[in-house]
Amino acid sequence: MKGLIFNIKRYAIHDGPGIRVTFFMKGCPLACWWCHNPEGISSGIQEIDRTDRIGSKEFTVKETVGKYYSSNELLDIAKKDLVFIEESGGGITFSGGEPLVQPDFLLESLKVFRNEGLHTTIDTSGFADREVIDSILPYTELFLFDIKHMDPGKHKHYTGVSNSLILDNYKYIIGKGKKVVIRIPVIPGINDGEEEIRAFRDFIDAEAGGNVSRIDLLAYHKIGSSKYKRFKLDYKMQGVEQPSSERMNELKRYFEESGINVKIGG
Amino acid sequence: MKLTERVKQLRQNSLDATEHISSERAELVTRFYKSGPAGELSVPMLRAYAFEYILKNKKICINEGELIVGERGPAPKATPTYPEINVHSIEDLEILDTREKVSFKVSDRVKEIYREEVIPYWKGKSNRDKVMKAMTPAWKKAYKAGVFTEFQEQRAPGHTVLGYKLYNNGFLDLKKEIDESIRGLDYFNDPLAYDKHEELKAMDVACDAIIMYAERNADELERLASGTEDQKRKGELIEMARICRKVPANAPETFHEMLQHYWFIHLGVVTELNPWDSFNPGRLDQHLYPVFRKDIEKGNLTEEEAYELLGSFWVKFNNHPSPPKIGVTAQESNTFTDFALINLGGLKPDGTDAVNEMTYMLLDVIKEMRILQPSSMVQISNKNPDRFIHKALDIIKTGFGQPSCFNTDAIIQELLRQGKSILDARNGGASGCVETGAFGTESYWLTGYFNLAKILEITLYNGKDPRTGETIGLRTGEPGDFEDFEDLFTAFSSQLEYFASTKIRGNNVIERIFSKNLPVPFLSLLIEDCIANGQDYNEGGTRYNTSYIQGVGLGTITDMLSSIRHNIYDEKKYSWKQLMDAVKHDFEGFEELQYDLIYNSPKYGNDDDYADHHAVMVFEAFYDAVNGHRTPRGAVHRINMLPTTSHVYFGSVIGATPDGRKAFMPLSEGISPFQGVDRLGPTAVIKSASKIDHLKTGGTLLNQKFSPQFFEDEESYAQITALIRSYFKLDGHHIQFNVVNADTLRDAQKNPELYRDLIVRVAGYSDYFNDLGEDLQNEIIRRTAHESM
Repeated sequence: MKGLIFNIKRYAIHDGPGIRVTFFMKGCPLACWWCHNPEGISSGIQEIDRTDRIGSKEFTVKETVGKYYSSNELLDIAKKDLVFIEESGGGITFSGGEPLVQPDFLLESLKVFRNEGLHTTIDTSGFADREVIDSILPYTELFLFDIKHMDPGKHKHYTGVSNSLILDNYKYIIGKGKKVVIRIPVIPGINDGEEEIRAFRDFIDAEAGGNVSRIDLLAYHKIGSSKYKRFKLDYKMQGVEQPSSERMNELKRYFEESGINVKIGG
Repeated sequence: MKLTERVKQLRQNSLDATEHISSERAELVTRFYKSGPAGELSVPMLRAYAFEYILKNKKICINEGELIVGERGPAPKATPTYPEINVHSIEDLEILDTREKVSFKVSDRVKEIYREEVIPYWKGKSNRDKVMKAMTPAWKKAYKAGVFTEFQEQRAPGHTVLGYKLYNNGFLDLKKEIDESIRGLDYFNDPLAYDKHEELKAMDVACDAIIMYAERNADELERLASGTEDQKRKGELIEMARICRKVPANAPETFHEMLQHYWFIHLGVVTELNPWDSFNPGRLDQHLYPVFRKDIEKGNLTEEEAYELLGSFWVKFNNHPSPPKIGVTAQESNTFTDFALINLGGLKPDGTDAVNEMTYMLLDVIKEMRILQPSSMVQISNKNPDRFIHKALDIIKTGFGQPSCFNTDAIIQELLRQGKSILDARNGGASGCVETGAFGTESYWLTGYFNLAKILEITLYNGKDPRTGETIGLRTGEPGDFEDFEDLFTAFSSQLEYFASTKIRGNNVIERIFSKNLPVPFLSLLIEDCIANGQDYNEGGTRYNTSYIQGVGLGTITDMLSSIRHNIYDEKKYSWKQLMDAVKHDFEGFEELQYDLIYNSPKYGNDDDYADHHAVMVFEAFYDAVNGHRTPRGAVHRINMLPTTSHVYFGSVIGATPDGRKAFMPLSEGISPFQGVDRLGPTAVIKSASKIDHLKTGGTLLNQKFSPQFFEDEESYAQITALIRSYFKLDGHHIQFNVVNADTLRDAQKNPELYRDLIVRVAGYSDYFNDLGEDLQNEIIRRTAHESM
C-alpha cells in the first residue's frame, strides 16, 4: 500500500511536541480560502512550473507535486532523525492536506510508527467518517484539531463544508480521552469578530474536558498567495492583512480565561 | 548584572581606540641584538635577555580607572611588531596603514625608525627569511598556488592554554623547580645536559624578568597614588600596587590577584613572541571559582566587585588586536581577533559536572560586555544541566556569535585517542577557533590550512594549476582517461599524499628553524613538563606535542566529487569533455548545464549518503596522508577541519568547479555545507556533518545560521538544546550559531556607519561585520538562513 505525500519536513518544530518529522498528505475535502498549503487540496499528482535563479538568470522547470511512498519508506525517513526525535521527546506528524482522506494508508503507517515506539500526531480538519476516526484512535497520541468557524453557514461558505461533522468528531475524540491541541486560524474579517471569538470560547468551555492541552492561535499569513498563482488557483484573500501581534496577544489573553494554555503560532 | 560606570567607560575607551603600529618593541629588540652582550650568549639566553630587556625598558601604561594593569604596547591597541620573526618593509607598512580592512595606522615616525634602524638590521635575517630560504621548489610552488598556507611564516607557534599549575604557583616557585632541575642534570650520561642547562638558565632569567616587570607596574601605581587627590582611586591604586608586588612572583590568593596574575602571564607570552592565538586563560570559571568563594565567604569581595573586576579584565583582551599580518597570512586570518578563547563549563578533573556560579557570572559578563575579544565558548558535556545551555542561548540569540558550543565528551575522547591521561584530557578544551588541547600540558601547533578542493582541481588538470598553466602536482592522467570513479579518486589520493608530504616535510624543517633560533623560555615555564625536561616549548619539552594541518573546503570537494560521479559515471548525463569545457569557460554559455549541476546534483548537507559518502572518503584520505607522521620535536601530525577566513582565500585561487560553483568564489567553510545547498534544515546538516569521524581529529567546525525566530520562547530553547545535544551524541565536535537575518546584513553593507557594533560569526570566531572584506560579507549573507518554518 502506498500513500500520496506532497512534502516531508524535518526539524518540524510546530507540529506537536519536540523535534518532529512531518508528512504532508495530499488531498483535502475542504478548500479553505486562506489555505497556505493549496498544493495539498487536490488528491492527484500535479505538475507545476517552478522558477529557480542563479544570480539574476531565471530557469523555469517542471516540478511534480506529490509522490507515492510506502509506510516503511516513511519510517526510514523518520528514522534518519531518530536521534533528534529521542533527544527532544518528539515524534512524527501526519498533516496535509487532510491525512484522514487516505485512511488505509494512514492506519498502516501509524501502526508502523507506533510499533517502533514513536510518538504520533495527526494534524486534522476533523472532517472524516466516524469509522475512520475509530480505526486510527488507538494509534494516535495527539490530535492537532482545527476549528475554523463556529457558524455552520459561514463554515460552509469559507471551507466548502459544514462544521457539524467536525464538531461531532471533536467531541467524540475528547470523549475517548485522547489528547488534543485545538488550532484556530485567526482570519481577519472572517472569524475574528467579537461574537465569533466568543462562540469559539463558549464551545471550548463547554467541550474541552480535561484533555485539551493547549489552544494554538494561528495568525493568517500571506505565504500562500504566490503558491496559488503557481497552482493556477483563485486566491480569494486579496486585501486581507495579517493580524497584528497586538491583536494576537489580545486574543491570547481572551482565550486564556478558559484556563487553558494558549500559544500564538503552532 | 549591569556594567558599572567605570567598566562602561573602560569598554568605550577600548572601542574608541584606533589600532596602530608601535615601534617600541622593534626598537628595543633591535637595540638589544645589536648590543655587545648579545653576541656572547647561547640562543636560549639571548632570547631570555631580549625578553628581559624589553620588559625593563618598555613604557608602563596604566589606563585611567582600570583595575587590571599591563599593556602589550605603550597604549591600548598600540600594536608591537616582531622583526626577529618577520621584518615589515616600508611597503608592508604602507599596506597596513592604508588597506581598507583590518588596517593599522602607521605614523611617519614609525616608518622612519623602520627605515633607519629596524630594516637595516633585520633584513634577510628574520625567521621568515630563514623559512623561505629553506623551502624546496615543490613547497614554494604549492604555497604560491594556494594549495596550503604556512602558519609559522609571520607568527610563532603557540596555540596553547594555561592550565591548573600556573594558577596555583608563582614564578618564585618555578625558580625553585628550575634550580632542582639544574641540579639534577647528568653531564655524564645525558648528551643534552649543556643545552638543558642553558635552557633552564634562560627560563630562570625569564622568571626574574616578569617579576621585575610587575614591580615596575607597582612603582608606577604608587607614583600615581601619591599624585591623586581622589581618595577612592588612591586606595585602589595602593591595593593594585600591593598585588603587583605579590603576583606573579607568588601564587595568587584572592580573586583580584588571580586576574592580575594571569594578565602578567598573558603579557609575558605576547611580549616574548607573537604566538598564534596570543595566549589563553582556558578554564576560567574553574580557576576563579575557589578564590571567588573564599573571598566572598571571608567578606573580602562582593559579587558586584567581582563583576567589575571581570569587566576590567575583559577590556584588556580587547585592547590587544592580533599583530599585523600581511600577504597570505592576512588572507587566511583576516581579523583583529587574536583568538583567546575563554572556556566555560565542561567537566571537573574527577569527571563530574563543572558548571558553577562563576560559570554563570562569566556568561553574564560576556553578554553585557559584548566586545570582540576575548572570544568565548561553552563546553557542553552530557553531564551539564540544560540551564547552562539555555544561558548560553540567551547570548547566542542576540546575534553576537558568541559563545560557540563544544562537545566536552568528544574533546575528551579525542585527547584520549591521542594518548593523553584521563586527567589531562578532562583539564583540556578548545582554543583558537575549535582546536582540541590538553591545557597546561600540550604544545599543539597549527601549521597551515590545506586546500582540499584545489587538489582535486589540480587532479582534473593532470597535475597542472589551471590558473598559471604550471605543473605543480603529479601527472596522474587526464580526466577522460579515468575509466570509473575509483580511478579518479585514486588519482586524487595520490595528489593529496604528494601535497601532504610536501607540507609535512616543510613543517619539519620550519620546526627546526624555530627550535634552533627562537626558543621561548618564558612560554616554556607555563606548560608542563618543560622545566622538568630542561627543554623548550618549541623543542618538544612539553608533556604532549602535536602538529596540526587544517583541511579546508570539505563541502565543496564533496559536491565536486558527487557531481562528477552522478553526472559522468552513474547517470552518464555529460561527458568529461562537456563538463570540463563548461568549467573552463566559467559556465559562460553553459548556463543550463550549470543550473543542472547546482539544482540536480547530490549535495553534502542534506543527509544524503550518496553525497556524504564522498565527504567520508576525502576525510579518510586526508587523515591517512597526515595522521601519525612524526616531527623533529617528537610531535605527531594530526588533522583538524577549520578555515578561519582561508576558505575565501582558497576559493579565490580555484576556477569554476563541477558542482556549479563559479570561479574564485569562496569554498564551503569548516565542515559546513557549501552556501545555500543544504535544503532540508538543520537536522539534515547535522547528520551529514556527523558522518565523518570527528574523534580522529583535533577539532571540526560546523556553522549554522539561524534567524532570531528560532530562539523566541522556551520551547524553541528546548529544541535548539536538543539539536545541540543530538549533534554531540553523534560525536560532533563543535557547532556555532549565527543569529541574524540577511536583510540586516545587507543594510549593514550599505550603511556601515550605522552598524559599527554589528558582530557576526565568521568561522570559529566572531568579527565586526564592517571589518570583513566584501566577499566575506557576501558569503555570510548567502549562507542558508534556516528561516522561520
